[in-house]
Amino acid sequence: MSERKNFNHIQYILPSLLFILLIFLIPIVYTLVISFFSWNLLRPDLGIKFVGFQNYLQALKNPFTWETIGRTFYFVIISVLLELIFGFSLALSLNTEFKGWKIVQSIILIPFMIAPVVVGFTWKFIVNNDYGPLPHLLINLGLTSITENPLLANPTTAMFMIILADVWEYTPFVTLVLLAGLKALPQEPYEAAYVDGASAIQRFFYITLPLLRSSIMVAVVIRTLTSLRVFDTIFIMTGGGPGSTTETLSFYGYRLAFQSYQMGYSSTINLISFFLAIIFTLIYMKLIGWDSNE
Amino acid sequence: MNKNIIIKIVSLIIVIIALIWTLYPLIWIIFSSFKAPLEQFTIPPKWIPENFTLRNYKIFFSNTEFVRTFFNSVLVTTSSTILALILGIPAAYGLARFKWKHANLLSFIILLARMTPPVVMVLPFFLISRYLNLSGTYIPIIIACSFFSVPFAIWMMQGFFSEIPESLEEAARIDGCTRFEALRKIVLPLVLPGISATSILCALISWNEFLFALVLTGQETRTLPVLVNMFVSEKNVDWGVMSAAALITVIPMILFGLLVQNNLVKGLTVGSGK
Repeated sequence: MSERKNFNHIQYILPSLLFILLIFLIPIVYTLVISFFSWNLLRPDLGIKFVGFQNYLQALKNPFTWETIGRTFYFVIISVLLELIFGFSLALSLNTEFKGWKIVQSIILIPFMIAPVVVGFTWKFIVNNDYGPLPHLLINLGLTSITENPLLANPTTAMFMIILADVWEYTPFVTLVLLAGLKALPQEPYEAAYVDGASAIQRFFYITLPLLRSSIMVAVVIRTLTSLRVFDTIFIMTGGGPGSTTETLSFYGYRLAFQSYQMGYSSTINLISFFLAIIFTLIYMKLIGWDSNE
Repeated sequence: MNKNIIIKIVSLIIVIIALIWTLYPLIWIIFSSFKAPLEQFTIPPKWIPENFTLRNYKIFFSNTEFVRTFFNSVLVTTSSTILALILGIPAAYGLARFKWKHANLLSFIILLARMTPPVVMVLPFFLISRYLNLSGTYIPIIIACSFFSVPFAIWMMQGFFSEIPESLEEAARIDGCTRFEALRKIVLPLVLPGISATSILCALISWNEFLFALVLTGQETRTLPVLVNMFVSEKNVDWGVMSAAALITVIPMILFGLLVQNNLVKGLTVGSGK
């Protein structure tokens, strides 16, 4: 019986497994191999030279690599934090009884379905100092000091504008995950707390928050993973500038490969991104209990 | 009782703020797409165009480049989504129904493939397709889009399949169905809403994919996000035409998304809301 089961099982899984192995593992191994070579597409005369760990040493010694990693984490932490705060408040609000919440949910879901490239363009337009509405809103509110420089040309505000665009796009995702969690909460603890006379704030901190912990963690890990790879909005809004103050790890890897054509060094940088993805994927699997084998 | 009213009022305020925050950029782009060039450049910016004009849409649609790009996007999205469903649905079923030792390793590989940043894959994809002389064809971009949608389809459909009780299939098999017949006649109809949501999300992944499209497509195979990028990177952006282009790019996906909204929400939270 169990033999037959295994046979069936392989049949179903094999095609997609082969597909994934083929188009995932081969490129990854290829990247790993290239990372030990010096290879510039613009200089075919130099050829492809094996350099051992030189790319890795260069990456680790270069302060720019660390700046990029720091910037990536800055972006991830601030945007995920904001998305969590906004998403949670919105999920709690949508979980109260009032009519028409389905329509609201449809509307708040829209940014999530918009191509990141279009999100980038939209926000580039919105924050444009001359023709966009946001700077003028800020001026009308008396916040002229912010708009003295174009928002995307100022190193201190540029990154924050990209974060705003990201928050706009992905808060709906966090809201939906947390809303699903809220709707699945058991009612008994609340009834008991009601009888004991617990206040709404107490109920939130002692019942909702602990029970919702895994939903929150899942939303945070998925958003962390997806924001680690941020590229499209940055490419459209600032192109990594001003200077290189909005260059994240993904952007750096892209620039090395397709603007300076350093295949080997770019691969080394990209492997850092891959390494981060492995860590967070493992955390995610732990959280949804995929390691417990049920 | 009073406290309940306060909570409701606070909730309502938060929802209204969220709606304004969500709609502000959208309405701005919608209005801009109907503005004549002169009105784009008024300082301070005006929200509502004085003369509604279809000029921007006319310019966009009369551009042959656009028609081809739109067709390319449809082709790439459809092919990679079909590929994702053909490969993903059986695998998801297999993973949901059978328990074996290496299921975790498998799940990890599938999830990791989904979570790997595109930039990691784009360089080897570019070099390998160059080496295989496939640059400028549809093959690299379709496969690249499937790279994200196949693992996603497996991951999502697995959740839908596990919700169908196995006893239903067993009953059908006692009645003389083979496992495959039970799957086709009993299980698949039940997960149909899940399949529709999965295909929408897979389509969304491919339709919106930018980095792979930027690197792997040539002039002939370019997709909509790449075209949008080309407009934006021009020195003098025609914000009106650009806004029209942006809206045309997003409208199909928003419509599809809203159509299967309930299942979409379920799909997004399957396995993550536990």
